[in-house]
Amino acid sequence: MDFDFSEDLEQLRDAVRKWIDKGYDFERRRAIVNAGGFDRAAYTELAELGLTGLYVSEDHGGMGMGPVEAMIAMEELGRGIVLEPLAQTLIASAVLQTHAPAHLQSNWLPRIAGGEAIVVLAHQERGARHHLDRCKAEAKEAGGQWTVSGTKSIVPVGDVADTFIVPALAGGQMALFLVERAAAGVKAEGYVTQDGSRAAEVTFSNSPAQLITKNGLTALLEAADIGSACVCAEGVGVMDKTLTITAEYLNTRKQFGVPIATFQALRHRVADMKMQLELARSMSYYASLKLKAPEAERRQAMARARVQLGTSMRFVGQSAVQLHGGIGVTEEYIVSHYFKKLTQLEMTFGNTLHHLGEVSERMQDTAGVFA
Amino acid sequence: MDLAFTPEELAFRDEIHAWVHANLPKDISDKVHAAQRLSRDDMQRWAKILGKKGWLAYGWPQQFGGPGWTAVQKHLFEEECALAGAPRIVPFGPVMVAPVIMAFGNAEQQQRFLPGIASGEVWWSQGYSEPGSGSDLASLKTRAERQGDKYIVNGQKTWTTLGQYGEWIFCLVRTSTEGKPQTGISFLLIDMKSPGITVRPIQLLDGEHEVNEVWFDNVEVPAENLIGEENKGWTYAKHLLSHERTNIADVNRAKRELERLKRIAKAEGVWDSTVDGPSAGRFRDEIAKLEVDIVALEMLVLRVLSAEKSGKNSLDIAGLLKIRGSEIQQRYTELMMQAAGPFALPFIFEAMEAGWQGNFPGGVVGNAPLASNYFNMRKTTIYGGSNEVQRNIVSQTVLG
Repeated sequence: MDFDFSEDLEQLRDAVRKWIDKGYDFERRRAIVNAGGFDRAAYTELAELGLTGLYVSEDHGGMGMGPVEAMIAMEELGRGIVLEPLAQTLIASAVLQTHAPAHLQSNWLPRIAGGEAIVVLAHQERGARHHLDRCKAEAKEAGGQWTVSGTKSIVPVGDVADTFIVPALAGGQMALFLVERAAAGVKAEGYVTQDGSRAAEVTFSNSPAQLITKNGLTALLEAADIGSACVCAEGVGVMDKTLTITAEYLNTRKQFGVPIATFQALRHRVADMKMQLELARSMSYYASLKLKAPEAERRQAMARARVQLGTSMRFVGQSAVQLHGGIGVTEEYIVSHYFKKLTQLEMTFGNTLHHLGEVSERMQDTAGVFA
Repeated sequence: MDLAFTPEELAFRDEIHAWVHANLPKDISDKVHAAQRLSRDDMQRWAKILGKKGWLAYGWPQQFGGPGWTAVQKHLFEEECALAGAPRIVPFGPVMVAPVIMAFGNAEQQQRFLPGIASGEVWWSQGYSEPGSGSDLASLKTRAERQGDKYIVNGQKTWTTLGQYGEWIFCLVRTSTEGKPQTGISFLLIDMKSPGITVRPIQLLDGEHEVNEVWFDNVEVPAENLIGEENKGWTYAKHLLSHERTNIADVNRAKRELERLKRIAKAEGVWDSTVDGPSAGRFRDEIAKLEVDIVALEMLVLRVLSAEKSGKNSLDIAGLLKIRGSEIQQRYTELMMQAAGPFALPFIFEAMEAGWQGNFPGGVVGNAPLASNYFNMRKTTIYGGSNEVQRNIVSQTVLG
C-alpha cells in the first residue's frame, strides 16, 4: 500500500496545473462558454500536453499511462473547470484499445492521441436514465456493412466530435459501433449544458457503422466506469478549488467590522466541507485504483465511490454558494460556475441515488476496502 | 383543540377559490405551473386584477382600503392563489412598504402612496442591501444629506429584485454617523425617475436578470418623502421585517410544487417501483420524506395562525419558518432536477419561454427550467436574513 505520488506523477500534475494557471484562466473559459462551450484550440493544447494520448499505447503514438495518471490529469482539469472533454477521450481510447479490431485501432488511436480526432461515447437514451443495459438503437448488417439507427441524447461535444462510439442492439444483443459524424444519416443538434460545456442530440438513420465489439454491454460498463473514475477525480479537483475560493472569500469579506471567517457557524461549515473533500479524495483514489479490478469488484467500487462523491459534491457546492452569500448566486463571480460544474458532474454516468442502488444490490455480509 | 377550519372559514375559502379560478388568466397560470418565465406584464396583469377586486392589499386593515381579513383568511387566500398557479404577489409594495406607511407615515403620505399600491398601478422596489452591508445591514453607507426642503442622496444599493421595473423605491439611508450605526438610519421613499438614479442589471447564475444594482448620484428627494422621524428608520425597518410572518415560509407554494414534482417523477419513470424498478422506489421515498416535511411546516404555520387568531400562546418563530421554508424550496427544486437526471442538463434559455417551438433534448420541454430553478433557489437561504442569521435569532429566543 502506497498513496504517495512518484516524481513523474508530480511532474504530470505540475504540467497540467501550469497550463491552467497560464493558459486557461476564468476569462478564457467564459469566452469559450459564450462561444458555445468548446474550443478546438484549447483541446489541441491538451493534446500538446500529451493528455489526449494518456491512455493510448506507445505503439499508437500515446503515452501508455494508467488510471492514476488519468486521475491526476482529471483532478487538475477539474481545478480549472476545463470544458474540453478529456474524460471522453480517455474512455474512447480505452474502449478501442481493449475491444476494437486492430485496423480500427491503428486507424483511430494515433489520431486520438495527437488530438486530431475527437471520439466520444454516445450512449444516453431517453427512458434509459442511468441504466446502461437499456438500449433502443438498432444495428443491422447487410453485405458485410453495418448500419445503425437510433437517437442518443446529451452526447458530449456531439456536434463537434469526429466519431461516436454507439451502443446498439444487433440481433437483440448490445454491440458497440464506431459511427463517423460525417457519415450518411447522422444528424447532430448542439447546445450548451448547465456547466457551460457543449453537448448534442445525435440521431442515426441507417448510418454506416463499424463494429467495435459484439460484447457491447461489457465494454459499455467498462466505459462508464472509466467515466465514473474521471467524474471522481475531476470532482475532487473542482471541490479542492471551490474550498480554496471560499476560504479566501471568508478571510476577505467583512461584516460587523470583522472578516466573516471569524464566525463560528461559518467555520464549522468550512470544517464540514473539508471533511467532504477528503472523504471524496479518498474514494477517488479507491475508484482509480480499482479500475483494473474484475468487473464485479470494479463496479461495486465505482458505485461506492460515486455515492461518496455525489454527497460531497452536492454539499461542497451548495455550501460554497451559501458561504459567499449574494455574490455566490451571480453569474459574474467565479464560485457559481464551480457549483454548476459539481451539479452536472453528479448527474454524469449515473446520479447518487442510482449508485446507492448499485451499492445496495451488491451488499454482502462483510464490508471494507478489501471486501 | 380542533384541526378543522370553521364553517365560515370554509365558506370563505370556497368564495376565494371560485373567484381565483374565474379571474386568474390561464396563460399566466399555465406558465406558473410549468415554471416558465414570467414577464413584467404577467405579474402586473394579475396584480391589477387583484387590485380591482381589492385583494392585492389582502393583508391590510379596512381603514386603509384592505379587506380586513383575519390571519386565517389571509392564509386561505394565499393558499388558493398558490394552488391555482397565481404568480407570487410582488411583495415590495403591498406587503413591505405599505405596512410601514400605515404605521409610521403621515396622513398625506398614506393618501398619496397607498392607493397606487393597492391597485397594483405603481411598482415598488426595495433599497436595503449594499455591497458592504448584507447581514450587517446597519452598517449601510448610502448618504442622505438634508439641504433645505430636500435630501441629497448618494450611494449604492444592491440585490434590488425586479428593480428594472421599479417606479418607486423605499430605501434605508444614512442621515447620521453619530452613535450606534442603527440610530443614524432613515426611511426614505424615492421616485426612481429622479435624475441621478442608475439601475444596472446583475445576472444570476441561471442567466436570469432578476436583481439589480441601484446607484444614487446626487439624487434630490423632497423631504416630505421621509417616513416618520429622521434617524428612526431602523425601527421602521424592523417593523417591516416582523410583519413578514407566515408568508415567508411559502408553504402553499411548496404544496403546489410538490404536486409538480410528482408529475415530473411519473413522467421521468422514478415514481412506480413496480414499473421502473427499485431505483424508482428509492426516489419516491425521497419525495415521501419531503411530503412529511411540508405537512410538518404547514402544521407549524397553522399553529402560528391559530395563535394570532386567539391572541393566546403567541409563537415567536418567524426565524424557524424562514429556515424551514427556504430549505424545503431548495429541496423540491433539487428533487425535480434529479428526477429528470441527465435530461435536466441542457441549458436552452429560450426553452423556458411559454410557446417555444424548438425541440428540447429528450423531448420533454417541461424539463428545461429544472436545473435553472434549482440554481436560482440557492438564494432563498441567503436573502431576507441569511439562515445563519436566522439561526442566531432563533437560538437567542431559546438561550436569551
